Parts: sequence; structure tokens; C-alpha cells
Amino acid sequence: MSALGIISNANLNGGQKLAVKYFTVSLALFGAQVLFGLLAGIQYLNPDFLFGILDFSVNRMVHINAMVVWLLFGFIGSVYWLLEDESGTPVVGLGLGNLNFWIFTLAVVVVVLVYLLIQVGPGELKSIWLINEGREYIEAPRWADIGIVVCVLIFFFNVAATFMKGRFTGIAGVLVLDLVALAGLYLAGMWYTPNISMDQHWWWWVIHLWVEATWEVLVGCLMAYGLIKTMGVRRKIVETWLYIEVALMFGSGILGLGHHYFWIGTPEYWLTIGGFFSALEPIPLVAMVVHAVFDAGYHKLKSSNTPALAWIIGQAFGNFFGAGVWGFMHTLPQINLYTHGTQWTASHGHLAFFGAYVTMILAFFYLAIQKWRGNVWMGSNLVGSWKWKWSMFLLWTGMIAMTMALLISGYEQSQIERAIGGSDWVAYFAAQEHPWFVQGMVWRMIGGWTFAAGFVLLAWDLMTIGKRETRPALVVDAESH
Amino acid sequence: MIVEPVALANFFTVFFSAAMVILTGAVYALLFAYSRLRQRARLMPLAYVAYLGLSVSVYTLAQAANLFNDTFWTFIVGLMLLGYFAAPHVVWHLCVATHDQESVDGHKPHDEGNPSFIRP
Amino acid sequence: MSQTAWWASESLWRKSAIWVTGVSFIFLIFLTFDTVDHITAGSKSGRVKAYSVINNRIDYVFDAKRNMQVPVIGPVEPLFGKVLTEEEAEALVSKGKLTTQSKNCMNCHTLLGNGSYYAPDLTKSWLDQSWGSKETREKSMVEFLMDPTDKLHNSLGRKMPNLGITEEEAKATVAFLKWMSSIDTNGFPANFKPLDQSDAPVATVTAEPAPKASAAPAQQ
Repeated sequence: MSALGIISNANLNGGQKLAVKYFTVSLALFGAQVLFGLLAGIQYLNPDFLFGILDFSVNRMVHINAMVVWLLFGFIGSVYWLLEDESGTPVVGLGLGNLNFWIFTLAVVVVVLVYLLIQVGPGELKSIWLINEGREYIEAPRWADIGIVVCVLIFFFNVAATFMKGRFTGIAGVLVLDLVALAGLYLAGMWYTPNISMDQHWWWWVIHLWVEATWEVLVGCLMAYGLIKTMGVRRKIVETWLYIEVALMFGSGILGLGHHYFWIGTPEYWLTIGGFFSALEPIPLVAMVVHAVFDAGYHKLKSSNTPALAWIIGQAFGNFFGAGVWGFMHTLPQINLYTHGTQWTASHGHLAFFGAYVTMILAFFYLAIQKWRGNVWMGSNLVGSWKWKWSMFLLWTGMIAMTMALLISGYEQSQIERAIGGSDWVAYFAAQEHPWFVQGMVWRMIGGWTFAAGFVLLAWDLMTIGKRETRPALVVDAESH
Repeated sequence: MIVEPVALANFFTVFFSAAMVILTGAVYALLFAYSRLRQRARLMPLAYVAYLGLSVSVYTLAQAANLFNDTFWTFIVGLMLLGYFAAPHVVWHLCVATHDQESVDGHKPHDEGNPSFIRP
Repeated sequence: MSQTAWWASESLWRKSAIWVTGVSFIFLIFLTFDTVDHITAGSKSGRVKAYSVINNRIDYVFDAKRNMQVPVIGPVEPLFGKVLTEEEAEALVSKGKLTTQSKNCMNCHTLLGNGSYYAPDLTKSWLDQSWGSKETREKSMVEFLMDPTDKLHNSLGRKMPNLGITEEEAKATVAFLKWMSSIDTNGFPANFKPLDQSDAPVATVTAEPAPKASAAPAQQ
């Protein structure tokens, strides 16, 4: 092990060396998401900005695709991070995993360059195969879809084979099955149909079942590992709770798919199923507050990595407000008829993605950098801790500002465009021109700049945190003593 | 008729009461757990006041979103009231029971079935 | 110290997780089979119409029994004056769908309410009053799609870029939009006021001052 506070691969095991590569690309793509979000936000206020060069559709596509991919890279990195530790054996097929990383990254770069430089193609199947599929979130052209599945399968092989060779823990079991679902579900979005109802029906399989089921469970696994490592909670307890969470998430999440099937041509019984799950889904989320209070009281939140712990606490709040409060406000079909496809959705989407996923991956970034610098002290009174605190403050403030601004715009839009105007062309622009909407967009932009400042500080912090520390990390791992 | 859309005049009521359902639910869970954890029995009535607030919010939401006009949706309202009431109790019992194992190794001693191990 | 209660045991919850997931998934599979049946083009339930529906007038009318607006198929009114067979109609709609995908419409517009929020929803765009009259609609739509930049959009200055859409693609896109407007979407969008498509003289329709009227109630 090299000196404390110096970044060195000697501090990492094989899986972790690969993990930090994924984390690096992940952070860069996070930056791309923020950048293209800013461009798209500016276009709401100044439609001539980059018109004809980088149109809103392009910026918005890169904004959301960068998000999907950087979160995915963050998840993959996090799994490689814990893999050797959890299984007690070196990663099986690490060379292949490394090659996979480079191919995956190269493919992402090519896809983004095509998005930016070619943008659109003729109305033929070859455009869908080579340029972009034109389906929100899964715009990646078909060749890249196939590539993504292959890459995820190689990743799956690394994970499954390593656990088979070493310890096959409870976390491992959940993780392996979840990755099968992750790869399998993507196939549902990989075929063409002229029928838009059919298209969106299967499209939601990918989007919803990824985001509101498999990703949630993946985060549950990461959280479980994190609790054992950073807070020293005993494995048996953590794994029992992981199973409870899987039961709750899949139990409510799989058929919770129904709330996307209200208005796309799917039968009326989905109003009932979707309504049922929409009304009852938040109950477990709310009840988990009890668990959080219990754990906090029990373990007294002693942690060896304060920034990571702070982001994990943020995850609990962000998930609660983003998914719970913001979701429930507009998910019953009686009101969703008017909020569907407005800035309401954007408001909910921003807070929920940030709260549930971004926070978790940022926590892993901090865990990783700590180890990469030779398990340096990252407890309280860390040298230069203002950076992580300010970046966290700015990211949260920016996100809350964006969410609130979009909420107000969406509220106005649901009334003027949807309820009064009946969602036609004139009604749409009547709502877009309304002062509440315009001011909402201004405040969203202010939130966006704040968030961007937070990102810059975050990137700087991740490059420098622990650099001047000389104290070793606090040991809290229950399994190591 | 399965769904009767919300009237324009009730939009705000729906958004606000829906948010309040979740928030009062969280306050109820929070006070409930804190009261049990620290053995502050005096806090428990406050928890139930929060639950009362939740009931009022659910009722307001149900009125504004026309949920009482249909048997199925009325049933959902009942399930919500029951679910929000019972879930914190269930989670608490699960917390205590799962953490029971902790004491097996003398990791953190506490009295049998007494969750007040934080401050004995 | 006693063993963990059975209802809090790891093995019970592991089994529960597996069972809950399995049962939910099996339910989903059954529902999916049924739903796919309903949403196949030309399905018996009529929720998603056959592609040849573009040969007919499509309207969007309030149904008191269902308490929502529903698509209503009217007399024969072929698109671009040519009645198509089901195969021809499907090929045309498919070309239109491919165009909407390859031109990335969904990252500005919403379709069936899903997509981006920078431009109007296209679910019922075929029926939008802004196209003027039903006589000029097809031509206006094709011209707009082929070169939108100089057309009237709104007072915000927000406009659709020129995406290099050919006449063939534009016509196909119109066919796709017409077909999409016939999908039964459980009353989404609500309160939509469709273009007057009755056979009466259309002069009264075009004279209507559309723009600011519907925004007025909100300004108060």
C-alpha cells in the first residue's frame, strides 16, 4: 500500500481498479448531462439559441441519454467495486471485463457523436439502426442496443462467475437475479412496430421496470453493502432487510407499471390497477421512515466516510420527496389526466432521479476515492471539507429550485393547457406564454446554473479530497473485527 | 365509469392534500418510531395527532378527486387509511425482531424485547 | 436469548421476496397477453383501429356513458383523395412512424402524452383547429412538415426546425398522425375541441379567432 492521501491503484483490488474507470467515465457523462440540460433550459428562454445547430431535441436527447448511461456506468462501477470484497475472490474474467469497459465507452462516444453531428436521418429503418431510434430514453440506435445487451451480459458473466467461485452471499443472490432482469428487460424495447400503442406499451417495460424495479433493487444491494462497510451493520440483519425491500419494491413496482398505461390506448382496467398501486405504493416508503429512525438511533450514525454518509442520508430524503411526495401528487388517474405530459412530469423526474440514484452513486464515488487514496481519513473535520459540503449544498439547492420551478410551471400548464384549453396547439402555447410558466423557466435556469456550479465543485472535490490528509480511516466494519 | 376526473376548481386541493398525505404519514412514522426508540410515551399522542392529520388529508383528497363516487375507489381510501396506520407498527416490530440477533454475540446488550437499548 | 421470530427470519423474507416477485410477474404476463390483444391494430375491442381507418373521417366526441371523449369513425374521407387497402395503409402509416422516430419528434413533442414538453402534444394533432378547415388541413400539414421555419408558430419565437422531411415522408407522417388520432386513449386529452369536420360550409369555422380565446379564462 502506498502513502496515505496519494491516489494509487495499488490501494485497490482488481475489481476496484476497473470500477474507478467506470466511475471516471460516469462523472464525465454526469458533466455532459448537466451541460446539455443547461443548453436545453436556455432554449426555453431564448428559442433562437443554437437553433438549427443544436436544436432542443438534440440537447434534450443527450441530456437524458447521458443521465441513463452515467447512472448505468455508476451502477456497474459500484458492483465491480464491491465484487471482490463481497465474494472473497478475485474477479473472474477481469481481462474481458476491462476490454468490455473500453468497448462500452467507445460505443457511447460514437453514439453521442452521431447524435450531435448527424442528428436525424431519413424516415427509414436504417436511420433507426444507425442514427437514433427516436424513442425517449432509449434513443440509442439498434446496433448500440445490441452492444449494450452484450456489454451487460459480459458484466453479468463477471459478477455471476465471481460469486459462484467465491462466497455466494444474500446480496450476491439478489444482485445476480437483478442483473438477469436488467439485461432481459432491455430486449423488450428492441423491435420496431408501426403501432404507437404497442410501441409505448413495451417501451414502458424497459423504462418503468428498469427505473422503478431493477434499478431500485440494485440500489438496495449497494445500500446493503454500504451499510455493512461504512456503518458496521451485521450482515444477517442487512440481508433480511434487503429481502424485505425486494418484496416491497417488486411487489409494488412490477404492477405499478399500470400508472403508465392510463392514456396510451391500453384497456381501461389499467386505470384500476394503476390507481390501486399508485394509492398504496407510498405506504412502504413512508413506513421505512421508522426503519431509518431505528437504524440511526441504533448505530448512532458513526461513519468512516462522512461525505458518503451525508449523500446516503440525502438518498433517503430525496427518494422520499422525489418518488413519494412528488409522485403521489399527480399519479392518481383522476388528476393524471391533466398532469400527464406536462412539466409536472419533469419536476417529478428531476427530483426522483436525483434523489433515488444520483445521491447513491455520488456516495459510492466518495467511498471509492477514499480507498483509492489508501483508505485515508474522511470523517468529520476532514481537511478541506468545505468543498464537499458546498458542492452538496449547491447540488441540492439547484435541484430543489429546478423542481419547485418546474412544479409551478406544470401546475399552470395542467390548468390552462390541459383542463381549460383541451391540449390543442393554441392551448399549449397559451400555457407556455403565461407568466407563471415563463417565470418558472427563469427560476429553473437559476436552479440549473446553481446545480452546474455544484457539479464543478463536486468534480474538483473528488479530484482533491483527502489529498492533504495524513490520518487513516476510522474502522467501523463489523466483519473485520 | 371508473374514473371521474378532478374538477378544475379542485386541482390545488388535490395536489396539496396528496402531498399532505405523504408528509403527515412521514411525521406519524417519525414520531412513532422516535417515541418508541427513546421510550418517550408522551410523544405517542402527537404521533396519533399526525395520523389524524393524515386521515383528514386522505378524506380531503378523496372528496376532491371524486373517490367516494365509486365503490372501488372508496375501498382504496379505506386501504390507505388502514395501511398508513398499520405499516409503521409492522416495520417497528420487524426492526426490533431482526435486530434481536445483535445481542446474541453480546454485541449490544439490551433487555429482552425492550428496544430502548440506545439509552438503557 | 431467543431465536429470531419466524416472521422476522431471513429465510422467510427470502422466500417472500421470491414469491412476491414471481407472482407479480406472472400477473403481469397474463395482463400483457390480454393488453397486447387489445392494442393490436384492428383489435376486436376497437381500442386501436386498423390502419385503413385513415380512409375515414375520425372525430373525437364526448361519450356520456364512459364520461370521456372517445374517437368516432365517420364516413369515408380518404387521405390525399385515395382509398387505400389495409396493406397500403399500414405501409404508409409505418413510413410515417419511421419518420417520427428518425426525425426525433419525441424529444420536443409528446405522443400519447409521452415525450418531451417543448412542443405541443401530437395525440390529436390531426384534429387541431389550427389547421384551419378540413379541406385545407392535409395540404397545410404537409407544407408545415416540409418547411416549418417560416410558418406561424406562436409569439414566443419557439419554432420547429427544418428537419429535411421529404414530401413522401410528410404525407406518411400525416397518415400516421391521422391514424394515431383514432386510438382510444381513455379520454386523453380531455376537453379537446376538434376541428369541425361536418359537411356543412366551413366558412364559420375558419372565421373563428382561435389564438387568445382559450387562454383568456386563465389570465383573469
